[in-house]
Amino acid sequence: MANLVIDNVKKRYGETEILKGINISIKTGEFLILVGPSGCGKSTLMNSIAGLEDVSEGRILIADKDVTYTSPKDRDIAMVFQSYALYPNMTVEQNISFGLEMRKVPKEERDVEVQRVAELLQISHLLDRKPAQLSGGQRQRVAMGRALARRPQLYLFDEPLSNLDAKLRVEMRTEIKKLHKKLGTTIVYVTHDQIEAMTLADRIAVMKDGQVQQLGTPQEIYDNPANLFVAGFMGSPAMNFIPANVVEQDGTPMLELATSTTVALPFPKPESLKDYVGKTVLLGLRPEMITEPQPHKEGQPFVTTTDIEVEVTEPMGADTMILTRVNDAEINCRSNPMYPAAAGSVIKMMFDTSKAVVFDQESGKRLDV
Amino acid sequence: MSNKAVGRKTSGLDKALRVALYTVLIVVAAFYLMPFIVMLLTSLKDVEEIRTGTLLSLPASLNFDSWSKAWSSACTGGSCGGISPYFMNSFQIVLPAVAISTLVGALNGYVISLWKFRGSDFFFAAMLVGCFIPFQVILLPMAQTLGWLGIANTTSGLVFVHVVYGIAFTTLFFRNFYQSIPGELVKAARLDGAGFFTIFYRIILPVSTPIIVVTVIWQFTQIWNDFLFGVAFSGFDTQPVTVALNNLVNTSFGGKEYNVDMAAAIIAALPTLAVYVFAGKYFVRGLTAGAVKG
Repeated sequence: MANLVIDNVKKRYGETEILKGINISIKTGEFLILVGPSGCGKSTLMNSIAGLEDVSEGRILIADKDVTYTSPKDRDIAMVFQSYALYPNMTVEQNISFGLEMRKVPKEERDVEVQRVAELLQISHLLDRKPAQLSGGQRQRVAMGRALARRPQLYLFDEPLSNLDAKLRVEMRTEIKKLHKKLGTTIVYVTHDQIEAMTLADRIAVMKDGQVQQLGTPQEIYDNPANLFVAGFMGSPAMNFIPANVVEQDGTPMLELATSTTVALPFPKPESLKDYVGKTVLLGLRPEMITEPQPHKEGQPFVTTTDIEVEVTEPMGADTMILTRVNDAEINCRSNPMYPAAAGSVIKMMFDTSKAVVFDQESGKRLDV
Repeated sequence: MSNKAVGRKTSGLDKALRVALYTVLIVVAAFYLMPFIVMLLTSLKDVEEIRTGTLLSLPASLNFDSWSKAWSSACTGGSCGGISPYFMNSFQIVLPAVAISTLVGALNGYVISLWKFRGSDFFFAAMLVGCFIPFQVILLPMAQTLGWLGIANTTSGLVFVHVVYGIAFTTLFFRNFYQSIPGELVKAARLDGAGFFTIFYRIILPVSTPIIVVTVIWQFTQIWNDFLFGVAFSGFDTQPVTVALNNLVNTSFGGKEYNVDMAAAIIAALPTLAVYVFAGKYFVRGLTAGAVKG
């Protein structure tokens, strides 16, 4: 187990720059998730860490050792692939022990290790089967077993759950998390699924266009997105972006909201809006901050109750999503399913702006930092 | 009602059509088999019977004299030892040539598909051109090359020619087959600590059986049946069976012995026939393997 430092790594293919100077460092035992839309460079970065692709510039350090130009097999890492990449001609047992065999571990030790891993992942009964005879979930386990058997310093997971069906994915997600807690290994995990990122990570690196947009704990990234992209990418349903005029009331900049009536919402950091009075900014408000009126919140600062017109409702069981239009933008609100909200009716909703964020409309830059 | 729907009702017309279909199929099959049947019948007759009977008339008795003559005592050009020595020559050429060209093709395909390097696509395209080079074009340059290498008129020389000419095809076969193998497999093996040849030998070759069979059949048939290279690059002692067969048929002491000619021709064709019979199942499977993946 080891720490990992990625120091200003750049990767170019001819003229195109795939990675534009990545800086990430994680501590021993940390679970880092690289998340981003396809083509953001996360898989390239993963391959660079593994040594399967050369970097054009920068350094990669594992356990404080510079491995930038070390071959993959000498980096002491293991990887779980999206396609599992199990050797089709070998049994599960041979698959798991292949890496040990290549490292000249004696047969008896290999057998012990295979048993340990198989018990850990509950695949002992599958050891004699070929990969073709396994289900998707079982293959996934074997692929993880192969990585675990070598006890490497660093584990890389390249979208390991994306080939599983929804139910199995949630199960395996939990299992990976348990496994990490149990073994305390250092893991780098690539996904495009932001829920996976939120649930698994100690730290998340949100990537786009070959750059790290934000590196932080899941909660930091959720509550305090660095820019419009991160805010929109993380969270489901996504954050609402409402174009709002900044107006001044009693010397304090407020955000104007036009529903069936027009109200001005207070903002926790009014000073950051000073320069924008008379202009329009993007107000970012998570769906759960727009709810039915809640008595215990009544009278708190940054809470405003106003009328909205319900366009559509989407009952999700625990909550009901209410779609409405505010300032000509479609927004999602999360309300109690008991709260009466018929499509077409006008109802009272509570806007809590205590965790609201604002962005520049053009650049997507966060304004209130 | 439902019971009747299960068994399809066959009307008289359906039956007639079916009979017609099978008749056509049998006639066509017989037509295609005709040359072989004639060869077989003729090889079993003696010279007298051939002269008096028709092409398709059956032999009076099963007479294998012409076969043994073709094998061990018929005259081919100068010598009169039958085609058996040349039959063995052919094996000495074909076996190493097939083995080497298949192995090199597998390695080439492995590199081009799974260890892409700068220019590997161009390299493959250039290889592909090799499939379209007519035999005649390389005769003179190859004769020169064999001379320089000091293996002109030898079995090794012929093996060399067939390997060089065959690699374009074998590479194409293996490359196309390996295209369907996910690159992650090689990545996983590299991380596991396996090197270039270990991955090839332990992971790639074991899943290559279908394409190996296809390549072996293809190469075996091509090289065994080759006449041009055989006649151009072989010495007197190293002629392959195809050349010997030609000499046998063209050598005339007295009358033409069609029965011996036919027997020799069948003997010369037997190995390829055997290969098809034993491995034909894999041949079809291997050819379609790339298309349906797995």
